[in-house]
Amino acid sequence: MNKLFALCAATLLAGCGATTTIDEYRPNNQVMDINSQQSVVILGRRDAGHYDTDREFIDCVANKMKGADIGVFPEQQFVDAIYPWFEPRTAPKGLKRLRRLMEDAAIKEQIERNGIRYLVWLDGSTETHDKGGSISCAIGPGGGGCFGFAQWDKSSIYEAIVWDLTNLTEKGRLRVDSSGTSYLLGIVAPIPLLTPVKNDACASLGTQLKQFFTVDQPR
Amino acid sequence: MPKTKITLFSVLLAVLFISGCSTSAQVKIDSPFPTVVSKPKPVKASIVFSEDFKSYIASPNSKTSIDLGSAQTELLSNAFAGLFKEIEFVSAAAEVTFDNALVITPSVQEVQISTPSDTYLNVYEVWIKYSLDIKTANGDLVDSWFMPAYGKTPDSFMLSKTNAIEEAAVIALRDAGAKLLLDFYRIPSVYNWLVTERVLDKEQEELKEEQP
Repeated sequence: MNKLFALCAATLLAGCGATTTIDEYRPNNQVMDINSQQSVVILGRRDAGHYDTDREFIDCVANKMKGADIGVFPEQQFVDAIYPWFEPRTAPKGLKRLRRLMEDAAIKEQIERNGIRYLVWLDGSTETHDKGGSISCAIGPGGGGCFGFAQWDKSSIYEAIVWDLTNLTEKGRLRVDSSGTSYLLGIVAPIPLLTPVKNDACASLGTQLKQFFTVDQPR
Repeated sequence: MPKTKITLFSVLLAVLFISGCSTSAQVKIDSPFPTVVSKPKPVKASIVFSEDFKSYIASPNSKTSIDLGSAQTELLSNAFAGLFKEIEFVSAAAEVTFDNALVITPSVQEVQISTPSDTYLNVYEVWIKYSLDIKTANGDLVDSWFMPAYGKTPDSFMLSKTNAIEEAAVIALRDAGAKLLLDFYRIPSVYNWLVTERVLDKEQEELKEEQP
């Protein structure tokens, strides 16, 4: 009986796993050196009308990078330090515009003063679709409960582009595509079986991004 | 407890409960704004911040008011300082002391907001429409420039209406600063004035002097 329960639980939980695919493009196989005085800034694209790359996801990727001893400069601090050149209206969309920005001595000085070597643009969002089923809850003098079944699909698609702020070149691109289905069972109490689609996308992207960089150890 | 006290307490609780459902919002922008990173051009400018502008409170609808005055004065002071090498801030055009300068009077034309209940989108949005009245020190009109600014919250999850409108208004004000710095010298009439006043020549000379 216990084995049957364990099998049922394992089957149920396995259904909550996200499917994640990562595509990586690098113009060459050179690792990107970064020393302890330098840092990486991870910025979210916010110029699209219908979505913003959410700060929660950016913080999550930044935390994964920090775990590898890579200095990560906080996003808002960077945007403030260089105001107004990385606002949604003014942020460079391509290297050509970045090169023009870096011709401004004041902007270049701010970037150098803060020791920012690489810039990672994150662009994407997590969306919910294909909702199905229904669940209803009721409460009365004798007690209450929920009955029913609901499910929904979530997909996270994010792209990371790495720019070298010293050479003003693109160092690589990563694209993560994660999807999964979550369930809510109403058997007296509501039982959520959630698929961590966004967390999975963040963990995969952060891990892959870490491999781009090699931290120079002080001798 | 006497019956009247219980009734009074119940009424008080009900009023408190219902007032919690109120959809009105009084927003005051208190956020600090960063200093701009910009090399100002060798231009003199007098910025006229009228008392109305400094204490401006927008009422985009009957249930919402946004106290923008001090925040927009701080933000635009900072942005103008990134545009002009010599700058003075005055309360009226009559107080201008600079000769051969631009006299700029900003004013707010309109403030609009949209909330999730209006648009069924998951965001709060704020539009601020500024107008910059640009004149020479002699009083000749150079241009009247319309400067729209826009801000929205990333989403409305767990945000109170007041906090969400404040966040969107701060983003709109930052956008106003960005637009001003990016586009001011691209206004054709301002560019022509710079050419007439040989400001661009002066800038080139300064650059040559700075180079070793």
